[in-house]
Amino acid sequence: MAEGEIRKPLPAITPEAKPFWDAAAEQKLVMQRCRDCNAWVWTPRPACNECGGEKIEWTPMSGKGEVYSFTVIRQIAGRAASPAFQNDIPYVVAWVDLEEGPRMITNVIGCAPDDVKIGMKVAVVFERAAKDLWLPKFRPAA
Amino acid sequence: MSLRNKAAIVGIGETPTDRLGSKPGEPRKSTAAYLAWAMRLAFEDAGLSLKDFQGQGLGVTIPTAYPQPFWPEEVAEILGITPGFLLGGATGGAGAVSLLGGMAAAIGSGVIDLALVIGAAAPFSEHWGGGLQPADMRDWEIPYGTMGPNSKIAMVMRRYMHEYGATLDHFGKIAVTGRYHASLNPLAYLRKPITMEDYKGSRLVADPVRLLDCVIPANGGRAYILASPERAKTLRHKPVYLKGFGERSNPSYGPRAGSDALVIGVKDAGRVAMEMAGVEHREIDFLQLYDDYIVVVYLQIEDLGFCAKGDVRYFERTDFTFKGQLPIQTSGGMINCGQPSTAGGMLHVIEAVRQLRGEGGGRQVPGAKNGLVTGLGVLPYGKNLGCCSAAILGGEA
Repeated sequence: MAEGEIRKPLPAITPEAKPFWDAAAEQKLVMQRCRDCNAWVWTPRPACNECGGEKIEWTPMSGKGEVYSFTVIRQIAGRAASPAFQNDIPYVVAWVDLEEGPRMITNVIGCAPDDVKIGMKVAVVFERAAKDLWLPKFRPAA
Repeated sequence: MSLRNKAAIVGIGETPTDRLGSKPGEPRKSTAAYLAWAMRLAFEDAGLSLKDFQGQGLGVTIPTAYPQPFWPEEVAEILGITPGFLLGGATGGAGAVSLLGGMAAAIGSGVIDLALVIGAAAPFSEHWGGGLQPADMRDWEIPYGTMGPNSKIAMVMRRYMHEYGATLDHFGKIAVTGRYHASLNPLAYLRKPITMEDYKGSRLVADPVRLLDCVIPANGGRAYILASPERAKTLRHKPVYLKGFGERSNPSYGPRAGSDALVIGVKDAGRVAMEMAGVEHREIDFLQLYDDYIVVVYLQIEDLGFCAKGDVRYFERTDFTFKGQLPIQTSGGMINCGQPSTAGGMLHVIEAVRQLRGEGGGRQVPGAKNGLVTGLGVLPYGKNLGCCSAAILGGEA
């Protein structure tokens, strides 16, 4: 990282989410699933938000999904926006629906922003964001 | 318990909005100044004064950029009120409508018989910092370079267009109608009429969201006064009654981990409010819909049941002006009158009162008897809006 460069904001590694980030560092996508009602639980939390059950298990995901919707970020704007993303412009922020059901906010990378379409099949890929932190992103599926 | 006819609005106060402080060297006004101004206007309208509110209700919207947890008490101190019942708006932009329900409940159960509900913000004049973010936004959105609500609404709008075949012409009609109404409202901030071409040609903010899809932030203050029906009858204006109220926070349509992002929780909040009021769709004479974005107005018309989901033909054939079949946004909405943070939504309650009193001037809905008002707040992770409130207001008990 060049001197004076603004660092991108990173997630806080909460106790509930630590298994997610540990798996991501091994290039694996995992999510919580309730053993009582079978619901997917996402984002990470201490109990099932469908039935209240506490028997929730980290479960490997296929890493496959499709683009539910997306936008192309062409400018840094808004109170919550970090200028650290300036060099990435234009880039795609997308809602990706995993084939198991949960929806993630993520980036679609590995293709031109103009080639991204709703319904496009995508697969997870991990991008290093800090020493031990890997962010799951998605690229067009082969 | 029903809140039907348990309380009535007896006073309204709306300051002009401005963007003072957006340019260097401009004179600035504090949030406190807009609060005091809005309160004075509401007192003048109702014929009440500060002494009437001691020991009574005070409801305060909480601006998003100001995490001071005792803000409602700070407002009481600024204004010189010692409330007997103090509520903060817990639902962001929906606060104006949520507080209507909360204060009516307090009045209806006899805790108080009068309440001032007030909100103000001066985002251009005062710099409060960024405020705090929900943990989901901090951990699962911002690291991907999302640009606040614009990014999320862009995804809602794109998916909606994909799924139902709506085009810019459908959304543009809402934008043009709103500005037309604003041109008839002396208190609107943006008053120059626009055309469909202006809408379609406006700058892309977050594709497909354009500048003329977005609400305009502003400095300003807004207030209304609620009273018991007995108290209301002693005051100078014809009371405007709360007929029905409904609220849904954290709604989810489908599994919580991946819900239908094209449905807004006014679907249920509105249904509950209409049932409480005992009114049918045909008895509602106008809608004042929370409008952070044009697509949000559009979706609410569907989700409130005025047409089927995805019925684009309904939007083509319906006249939404004050003279039309379904008047909406008769003030011009926040998109044209300005959004002083979470106080923005107060506009819709105030405009509904004007219409029901017959004070709509050049934009008066002929013979308006009942109106529906909504409030919305926050865009949670992966979903549509997270706080949804609806109220039916009526000119007759």
